[in-house]
Amino acid sequence: MLGLNKKGVQVSFQGIKKQETLLTISILALAAVLSFATRLFSVLRFESVIHEFDPYFNYRTTKYLAENGFYAFHNWFDDRAWYPLGRIIGGTIYPGLMLTSVFLFRLGQLLHIDIDIRNVCVFLAPLFSSFTTLITYLLTKEIFDKGAGLTAAAFVAIVPGYISRSVAGSYDNEGIAIFCMLLTYYAWIKAVKTGTVRWGALSALAYFYMVSSWGGYVFLINLIPLHVLTLMITGRFSHRIYIAYSTLYCLGTILSMQISFVGFQPVQSSEHMLALGVFGLCQICAFVDYVRSKMSSADFQALLSFALSTVGAIIGVGLIILALSGKIAPWTGRFYALLDPSYAKNHIPIIASVSEHQPTAWSSFFFDLHLLAMLLPAGLYLCFKDPSDAKFFLALYGATAVYFAGVMVRLMLVLAPAACALSGAGLSRLLSKFLTPAVQTQRQKKSAPPAPTRGPVALSFAVLSIALLSAYTFHCTWVTSEAYSSPSIVLSARAHDGSRIIFDDFREAYGWLRSNTPPDARIMSWWDYGYQITAMANRTVLVDNNTWNNTHISRVGQAMASGEEKALEIMRELDVDYVLVIFGGLTGYSSDDINKFLWMVRIGGSTEKGKHIHESDYYSPSGEFRVDKEGAPALLNCLMYKMCYYRFGKVHTEGGRPQGWDRVRGAEIGNKDFELDVLEEAYTTEHWLVRIYKVKDLPNRGSL
Amino acid sequence: MSENKKIEIMWKILIFCLFFTVINSAEVVNKNVINRKVVRSIDLNSQLVKISGTITLENAGKEAVGNYLIGFERDLQGSIAYITVQDSLKTPLKAGRVAVVGAGTTEVFYNVQLKSNVEPGKTATILYEVVLTKALPPYPSSITQKEKQLVRYFGNHYFYSPYYTEYQKTDVLVSSRAVETYSKLKPVSQTDSTISYGPYEKVPAYSIDHMTIHYENNAPFLTVTRLERTIEVSHWGNIAIEEAIEIKHTGAKLKGPFSRYDYQRDTSSNHHSIKSYKTVLPALAHSIYYRDMNGNISTSSVKPKKDYIELELRPRFPLFGGWQSSYILGYSVPSYPYLFRKSNGEFVLNVRLLDHVFDDMAVEELETNIVLPVGVSNIKVKTPYEVKRLPDGVAYKYLDNIGRTVIRASKSNLVEQHIQDIEITYGWPSHMLLHEPVLVSIALFLTFIIVIIYVRLDFSIRKPEHAKKD
Repeated sequence: MLGLNKKGVQVSFQGIKKQETLLTISILALAAVLSFATRLFSVLRFESVIHEFDPYFNYRTTKYLAENGFYAFHNWFDDRAWYPLGRIIGGTIYPGLMLTSVFLFRLGQLLHIDIDIRNVCVFLAPLFSSFTTLITYLLTKEIFDKGAGLTAAAFVAIVPGYISRSVAGSYDNEGIAIFCMLLTYYAWIKAVKTGTVRWGALSALAYFYMVSSWGGYVFLINLIPLHVLTLMITGRFSHRIYIAYSTLYCLGTILSMQISFVGFQPVQSSEHMLALGVFGLCQICAFVDYVRSKMSSADFQALLSFALSTVGAIIGVGLIILALSGKIAPWTGRFYALLDPSYAKNHIPIIASVSEHQPTAWSSFFFDLHLLAMLLPAGLYLCFKDPSDAKFFLALYGATAVYFAGVMVRLMLVLAPAACALSGAGLSRLLSKFLTPAVQTQRQKKSAPPAPTRGPVALSFAVLSIALLSAYTFHCTWVTSEAYSSPSIVLSARAHDGSRIIFDDFREAYGWLRSNTPPDARIMSWWDYGYQITAMANRTVLVDNNTWNNTHISRVGQAMASGEEKALEIMRELDVDYVLVIFGGLTGYSSDDINKFLWMVRIGGSTEKGKHIHESDYYSPSGEFRVDKEGAPALLNCLMYKMCYYRFGKVHTEGGRPQGWDRVRGAEIGNKDFELDVLEEAYTTEHWLVRIYKVKDLPNRGSL
Repeated sequence: MSENKKIEIMWKILIFCLFFTVINSAEVVNKNVINRKVVRSIDLNSQLVKISGTITLENAGKEAVGNYLIGFERDLQGSIAYITVQDSLKTPLKAGRVAVVGAGTTEVFYNVQLKSNVEPGKTATILYEVVLTKALPPYPSSITQKEKQLVRYFGNHYFYSPYYTEYQKTDVLVSSRAVETYSKLKPVSQTDSTISYGPYEKVPAYSIDHMTIHYENNAPFLTVTRLERTIEVSHWGNIAIEEAIEIKHTGAKLKGPFSRYDYQRDTSSNHHSIKSYKTVLPALAHSIYYRDMNGNISTSSVKPKKDYIELELRPRFPLFGGWQSSYILGYSVPSYPYLFRKSNGEFVLNVRLLDHVFDDMAVEELETNIVLPVGVSNIKVKTPYEVKRLPDGVAYKYLDNIGRTVIRASKSNLVEQHIQDIEITYGWPSHMLLHEPVLVSIALFLTFIIVIIYVRLDFSIRKPEHAKKD
């Protein structure tokens, strides 16, 4: 009887385990599919097209890699950008993204799956977010438990903070980097838990992949040492951690130095010093532990105090010498901006001019995380309630990510997975507290009705959490659909009768440039459009989104902000053939060049050659930036203004408004009837969004 | 006989032989044929020059005549894209290009094989139609946005013929009444949009008198500089067609700036720039796409008509003189109207070698690739006109492990009249239809088997814990 009973329980236990596996697999599969599917809004609404600005560069380089092979790519000197300087592409990018897509593309070719490289690029980010869903499950499961892992996976599948950078077509480094980061974390947690060289080496490999794909690896290589440091301070340092960290650091550093863009930074720049320092500290700690085990306590104390003072002094002097001799790279602007949000604005106009480098508003935390913003503290609490090495790591990750997300909008991306893991743990714990499933054996099933859960409280909590989770789902879908799924290369608007109008002016202009200008024509535009022009129009640009040369951008800013005569001088100096401006006054497209103009003035005036440009000259006497009659004369006569408003003064844009009504600024333009002396209109797109001008040749000498 | 002499004789024989063959291949003009009456009409309404005429010929000799020569003078503007000759009952006659004894090599002659010999003293009527491309150079060659496009036509007042012509008349149709100048060889008259020359009587053979017409022509001067047409046949019942097209406005070049403001204010349809044009697709076409390198071109509309589909294509930007653009147009059609099975088991594919791009089109370079299904054999190709067969290619489509044969053909200088079917006959075993599904099934089956084996069997060297307990 007993044996039979035992067997019955065993069978049912196995049955439950099977069910659990099935449930886990199906939940994970659903989450992975969902995370792919929810990112396809823009493909369904528009088409399979690359979005925004940077992705166009990535797409162009990927195509180059696919066509010319790795060595050509590695040695690629690009003469289409930064005329006349050019750019060494191979040495100035993180190649992980391109290599990943070309790998997938080649794999497809090998199996004769006929897929275009463009489609590989478009769907890479959704594919990797599916992987991210899985790796989030593994990571959270490793730190907490299975339930937490599943909840976290479900959360991360649709969290807007991550979707914002990984919709189909958003072909950027971040798309794969988040996966690489979580993969490294997972391997690191495994290494910390097991203390084996194998997992340490695997985490170094994952770290290598991360380094090859995104500059944000710096966050990772500071977070892991921070974790080790915290464990040391809290007295949790052990041989496991020593092995894990030593393996990761040694292998990881050597591997990361293989990426030519990273080069010797891991041993020189101050951003990596924490990792190096902690590595040293690990050795000292391990050595001290060893010495302590061999010595008497008194001897040990004496030795320790002597060693501390001498070694400390030597290290201090050494650091000062290295810093003074320039071996240790100065702190770069972007990093300062992380620590002090006002730094960039005060010092580097180019950094400040990028909207994604702005400090995050409070509302965007809710917008990007929704429910997670509330559940995150619960997860943090759980990390400290029952601490372990792994939980410390997640707590540190969460806390630092919250800080960095507050400094820079785009780092919300790093916070999103952490918030998901923590919230997943929090919610899963709450749910399991209230809704403990009764272990049903076969016998129970036969005899008694299923045991009710803990009454009305549990029921109401279940209802509440379902409501909250559905709200989260609806919010995420809405945000994805409304905010993050517009390709920005194609704009759409609603007409009066409700039909959809498509503004395809960007591609119209780029298509025109590609077909109807000489192949070696040099195009001047503000740097935002550089990548798109080289990728879509295949023409040479002066400046692009890789803003590495401030003086060059400043020169372009000066040309745009100067009057025609002065501008011609600069344009002839830079061999400009065509000038391209974005103008939204007719359609009401607000992120056009007139609205960016003050940045051009600021950046133009920030260098030696542009000293004559003062921002104050472009404000009206009352201190406003306005384009109507009240506007500053310097503004009304500068090249940018003239190019945007050339012949616009005669156009009726809105009923009941005078001619030349700018719909973005809401003003009638101040300078209407003028002719261009040094430029001629070469092309203007259908909705006047892009206007291209040709620089006229010097006039013939008059007859003698 | 010395060696030298022998060689000399041999040389003489050789030269004689050579001379003989030259004579043989060149056609001798039969002086006994005369053109009793020639009525020509030269249509200059579009970018093409379409000359059609009716020739009444008479055999004034003693022997029956079986052929007739149609000629084109030495400094003919443009190039002959297409020529067709019919008899009075509209049955097409064979016309091949030949050299003519007594004429230079720059003149072009076509030898028409008459259907039946013309007996002495009898007459016969033949109709001919010629399409010339690039025959209307714009003059002035570059104009501003607001100016009208003027072109010049250089021709011959007389019907150029190796035969004596008794009576001839020519009508020139121009697109508008805005004719700047035209050469006047009396008698000549202009009514509405027609300029009538002639009748001229008793014109000797090979007569040339230069005709010049300078007039306004706002028809689209749009040339397809390259058309790559790919036809992919699937025996599952679908034919996918994709055309990569490069177009160029070959009219008067745009001089000076392009002003969007003026362009938007100018609403007259009669402008030399090209905003859009219409393409005709087969009535059964579906899944149509219109894109270029940068993605979908969102400006096109599909209008199904009774027996065709009209597709209005708007290039990304309006085309002015000298501007060019390129795009890809693709669609699918069901295979049943195009693919047949003969009684001996062979398949016959009848598809268009070239299809309509726009009305009065001129195609400079055409390359047609026809991708046949996997495993075809014994391919026979029959083309409607002479084309250059390129070496066959191999294409790998979805999951192909054996490649597909690609039939490739190219031709230059084509017009609407070249829209004709190419016929390809091939043998194909029907079981190949299941080739790929079977491959995929096997691959999936193997994967599942491997997973099952991996999950069910224990590969560890050590015995698991619970086994010990038992």
